[in-house]
Amino acid sequence: MSRNWDLLREELTEKITSAPSVGQLEQLRVEMLGKKGSVNALMQEMKSLAPEERKEFGMAVNNLKKTVEEHIAAKMAELKENELNEKLAKDRIDITLPANDFTYGTLHPLTLVQQEIEDIFVSMGYAVVEGPEVEFDVYNFEKANIPADHPARDMQDTFYVDVERLLRTQTTAIQMRVLEAQGSHLPIKVVCPGKVYRRDDDDATHSHQFVQMEGLVVGEGITLADLKGTLELFARSMFGPQREIRLRQSYFPFTEPSQEIDVSCHVCGGKGCPTCKGTGWIEILGSGMVHPHVLEMAGIDSEKYSGFAFGIGIERTAMLKYGIDDIRNLYLNNLKFLKNYKRFD
Amino acid sequence: MRVTYNWLKQYMDLSDITPEQIAEIMTRGGLEVEGMEKVASGSDLVIGKVLECVPHPDSDHLHVCQVDTGDTVRQIVCGAPNVAAGQKVIVALPGCILPGGEIKSGVIRGQKSDGMICALFELGVDKKQLTEKQLSGIEELPEDAEVGNREVLKYLNLDDIIFDVSLTPNRADCLSIWALAKEVGALLNKKVALPDYSYETETVPATFKLSSETEKCPLFEGKIINHVVIKPSPKWLQDLLHSAGVKAINNVVDISNFVMLETGQPLHFYDLAKIPLREITVKTGLEETYTALDGIDYQIKPEDIMITTGGKAIGIAGIMGGDDSKIDDETKGIIIEAATFSNVQIRNTARRLGLDTEASQHFSKGIDPLGGHKAVERSVQLLLELAEASGIEETVLCGDPSFEPIVIDAPVNKINGLLATKFTAEQVESVFERLDFHPEKVSDDIIRVTIPSYRRDIKVWQDLSEEVVRMLGYENIGSTLPLIPTIQGGLSDRLKNKRVLQQLLMGMGMNEIVSYSLVSKSKIDEGILSAGEAVEVSNRLSDERRYFRTSLLPSMLETAGYNVARSNDEYGLFEIANVYNNDNEEQQHLCIALSNKKTISRWQKLIQENDFYTIKGIVIAIMDKLGYPEKRLSFQIESNSKAVLHPNKSASVYLDRTLVGKIGVIHPACAKKYDLDECVLAELNMTAIYGIRNVKIKFTPVPRYPAVSYDLAMVVDEEVTGEQIVKTIKKTGSSLLRDVQIFDIYRGGSIAEGSKSVAVKVTYQSDDRTLSEDDIRDVHQGIIAALKNNLHAVLRDS
Repeated sequence: MSRNWDLLREELTEKITSAPSVGQLEQLRVEMLGKKGSVNALMQEMKSLAPEERKEFGMAVNNLKKTVEEHIAAKMAELKENELNEKLAKDRIDITLPANDFTYGTLHPLTLVQQEIEDIFVSMGYAVVEGPEVEFDVYNFEKANIPADHPARDMQDTFYVDVERLLRTQTTAIQMRVLEAQGSHLPIKVVCPGKVYRRDDDDATHSHQFVQMEGLVVGEGITLADLKGTLELFARSMFGPQREIRLRQSYFPFTEPSQEIDVSCHVCGGKGCPTCKGTGWIEILGSGMVHPHVLEMAGIDSEKYSGFAFGIGIERTAMLKYGIDDIRNLYLNNLKFLKNYKRFD
Repeated sequence: MRVTYNWLKQYMDLSDITPEQIAEIMTRGGLEVEGMEKVASGSDLVIGKVLECVPHPDSDHLHVCQVDTGDTVRQIVCGAPNVAAGQKVIVALPGCILPGGEIKSGVIRGQKSDGMICALFELGVDKKQLTEKQLSGIEELPEDAEVGNREVLKYLNLDDIIFDVSLTPNRADCLSIWALAKEVGALLNKKVALPDYSYETETVPATFKLSSETEKCPLFEGKIINHVVIKPSPKWLQDLLHSAGVKAINNVVDISNFVMLETGQPLHFYDLAKIPLREITVKTGLEETYTALDGIDYQIKPEDIMITTGGKAIGIAGIMGGDDSKIDDETKGIIIEAATFSNVQIRNTARRLGLDTEASQHFSKGIDPLGGHKAVERSVQLLLELAEASGIEETVLCGDPSFEPIVIDAPVNKINGLLATKFTAEQVESVFERLDFHPEKVSDDIIRVTIPSYRRDIKVWQDLSEEVVRMLGYENIGSTLPLIPTIQGGLSDRLKNKRVLQQLLMGMGMNEIVSYSLVSKSKIDEGILSAGEAVEVSNRLSDERRYFRTSLLPSMLETAGYNVARSNDEYGLFEIANVYNNDNEEQQHLCIALSNKKTISRWQKLIQENDFYTIKGIVIAIMDKLGYPEKRLSFQIESNSKAVLHPNKSASVYLDRTLVGKIGVIHPACAKKYDLDECVLAELNMTAIYGIRNVKIKFTPVPRYPAVSYDLAMVVDEEVTGEQIVKTIKKTGSSLLRDVQIFDIYRGGSIAEGSKSVAVKVTYQSDDRTLSEDDIRDVHQGIIAALKNNLHAVLRDS
């Protein structure tokens, strides 16, 4: 008796291939490969065959079983994938709906600018030193070469507390403390950031409170060219590598000679625009060589040592950097304003 | 300080340089030109003659004029009330650009108008310098004005440019136009020729008695001119005064103002007839009400310097004279006062009285010690020339007029060393030459200079180095970096910690604010972690900015309120700033405010509620980040009387046993005051925290064996706190106890009133083995017993 194995295989694989669902395929698997399944029935049938026929028959049944298993596995994978795909299709969401809000905070623009400047100078080996805002007249004025009758006191209208104390009008006060503390341990290389106060009415360009950062270098052989080179490097770090600086004669009681430092306009590159009022230059710093009296008051031999000092307004720098038109914005702390300053940039 | 191009031009040849170039060089050299403006402008002006002037047929105030402009006769409609036939006038031709815009041909109410007849203010002349008549009508030119002349501004002496110079305090000498001209000449390297003020006249013996009873008036020169004739000043003088922004009054008054402008020395002229005693004494020590020239009563104090005659005050020295001795149209003779007053006293008096006059500004900034004599001589010269002066008495002097000039040896090498330049001795000498410092070469390296009396800012060789660099130009300065021994730089610990805090709070989603340190009395009273008695500003500008704050919270509340009022009603704000007390103690504080909710997703209804436990968690996180683990903190309820924080939803924060902060929910009354919702707040004293030793980070092994957890549910009295439960468990638990977490609190239902059910997860773990039930049994039973005994807890089935 010979069977048409080919036909049988086709019949079974056809059933498998056309199974519509995982459940029905599972049922087919039981029907075909289960203990009472058709393939197993063939195995039973083999037992009744003559030994010489068994071998061939056995091989044929095994082949058939293997084929059925393979087909079922393949079909099962296919059906499961389909099922998953259907499920995924049902899971489809509207990805255009609003995201969950992962708000991050911001640092105040004055902090961003102050930290940036601190980092520029720290990278050059400067120490960052703070000092008290309620300060003694002696550090704010006297030691900075501004005695009581000095006309420069008019330059800075001062909030006084009593005869000795005032609200610091300039971070120069910190420099004077540094000179006093470190005058015998030269060289000195510091920047001094901090809030200062002037008896001014607040308007778009004036604030009775603002932030300054002053720098001081004292050592042997410090020159005006060192000052220029340092501030050139600073201006380029802050406002871009193309910036040029120029020195203009000015006056500060604690430096001699004294200069204002202009930086070529970062908005127009020096061609002239509203930011630089058409001049191509923006005034950003005051500077000078430390006045010999100031050094002497700190017990430093002004014939042997020299130094330079400079000061920068953090508000002004922030306003220039970000194009802020009214200084009061920096102190109103409107969140719509603050949230704009995500990084230094 | 205002000076005009034409004024400077009198003293030096400026034909090869533009006003813009002059301004640039002045600015680079230290005389900052803040602005340049034309005195008047008009691109296409001509002098015309009104041939005919008839009323406009369709108007009650306009006139139709036929105007001869030289080349042609134009019809111009004019609205000025003073226009009349026969007048010589200024005509702006069609196309002329005036400050107010362009003039065009047109038709005005049916009458053709081919230009405009101008008033001076229409050319941009400062209205303050014009008379009522000039302000209300067109300018009537003199009969001899040449019709057809197109150089109208030049004809009017208005083709001038005003330099607005901002003087630094060290260069108050340049308040004198002569000194300023010298300075400009030096910067431009030009020869400056100032007016010669010598005169020839007979003088008569002095009949004037002058004395000073105060060292605040070290020098006083006085002179009587017995006869002067008051009349208007000549046009050149009026024009110069106008260009400096000074109104012309009459020849004598104008001379006093003009000489002050020229020399920088304030002068005062008294009407001789009104000081019949012919005696002036300068005094201090008066205390009275004095009515000055401006008609205002001023309270004079003993320290103020007063000018008196016969014991009666006639002027506040150096600031303002009195009405009863001023020059008027009837004046026949005058007394000239040129004095030196203490700049400090003048500044103090002027400031106290709120009297900011030209004279007080000059005196406050310090004047040339030789200026008085110069000013008197120049005045006499001009009075002779312009006021028919006669009966000129000898000058009476009070004080010592001698002056010893400062002599400095300028070291060329040191100057070059400081500037890092290679200027030659000749170059340096040339600078001193330009500045009239009378250089004298002592050696190859030393140039001896004699400083003029007005340059009171030059005292040491470093001052001379400034003169050298600003004259030879800052463009000679190179660019190097300091070559000095390397020292360690960097941020202080305090600044590093501040950055850590800023980054942490920013990462938590908060926005940093910076607010004003000066606050009002009520804000001081609202401080919750006050540093102590507040520092008060003695010369406050307003009550709002009166005290240096002792706590940051009130400013924070104001900022939060400001934002809520602008619909920024979900906020997380922080500020780190210094506060002070009156013992000069500084504390760095951190302040936080969070709105009561934060929407994460509106449509998914994900909303984070911020309550007491949020702010408590933030404080714990901050402290943990800085190295102060939670177990070192304690939160103690503390009703505060200030009604800023909710009395039962607030706490004082202790680190070890030190009070370091306050946290809580805002008090409803305070919320109402600032228009806030139920926000949560914290203020920490960072200085106090940093003063306490923190825990350094060290390696702890990652657990290798699993942890086992048990839940305990218990009913306790309402008064029993979560902290008591956790502490009891921790105290009883052995080294195997790793963690205790309260995970449920339940009231009501089967729980009796006044009790609550608390569920706690207790976690055990060992470093060396996997724990079995046997390992834990004793410990766990011990905990249960402790809860029962110590807290009267009733354990529920678990």
